[in-house]
Amino acid sequence: MKILVVDDSRIMRSIVKNTLKTMYDVDEGFIEASNGEEAFTVLENNRIDLMLLDWNMPILNGIDLVRKLRGMAEFKNLPIIMVTSEAAKYNVIEAVKAGVNDYLVKPVTEKNLYEKVKKFLD
Amino acid sequence: MDIKYINPFINATINVFEDFFKITPVVQKPYIVKNNEDHEWDVSAIIGIAGEARGAVVISFTETLAALLTSKLVNRPVSSINDDVIDTIGEVVNIIAGNAKKGLEEYRLMISLPSIIKGKNHQLAWPVRNLPIVGIPFKTSEGPFNLSVGLENIITV
Repeated sequence: MKILVVDDSRIMRSIVKNTLKTMYDVDEGFIEASNGEEAFTVLENNRIDLMLLDWNMPILNGIDLVRKLRGMAEFKNLPIIMVTSEAAKYNVIEAVKAGVNDYLVKPVTEKNLYEKVKKFLD
Repeated sequence: MDIKYINPFINATINVFEDFFKITPVVQKPYIVKNNEDHEWDVSAIIGIAGEARGAVVISFTETLAALLTSKLVNRPVSSINDDVIDTIGEVVNIIAGNAKKGLEEYRLMISLPSIIKGKNHQLAWPVRNLPIVGIPFKTSEGPFNLSVGLENIITV
């Protein structure tokens, strides 16, 4: 089981990872990236089971990465949860239209992260 | 002052402090910020707002409070403004601005990446003329901090 955590905040990546570690035995399975471009490189070189993806990041943002991936046959079915501060309904609709599987508004808590992630990992 | 458009920022601030830091900040009386005014803060995180309104959200801390909040997230003592502090307060202002958009959905707004300004008694200059900036002081058990919000054509006084 490999989870890719993409966020430009190192502390946010750490919070997400540490929260998931308390729930799932995925200690060896985390890969981190700090922007969409780095994430794309990781995806090209690893088999990833789930990506947790921030929206607002430098170089390549999360929503543009989702659009790029959904246009490629090999990543059409990659499970993607967008984890972002963007709480407006029009943002959620935009992300779903782009192809995310689920959407989680920051701040992340143990409970809401668990509920979003479990359906992809159980 | 029309506080309708200030409340989403206040609520988002309280929410992020409670969830991240297990601290409930208490909002004080909002005031109109004068351009280039002096203050006692050591570090500020700024996020720009664009789209159907232009503006910015700024959160300002003393070094002591910013370091203490960061130590709660990284689970080790932090005593001065370092990369972790910059990361933490940048993420805090990002969450406040992004969450506040939920209460302002009649306007389609986009937020920028956060920037950090540090330095004892640094000044904040707001370049948009005639943009009313509302300062929102907060008190916490660990010390005060300040939120400033300006949104052209939305927040009026």
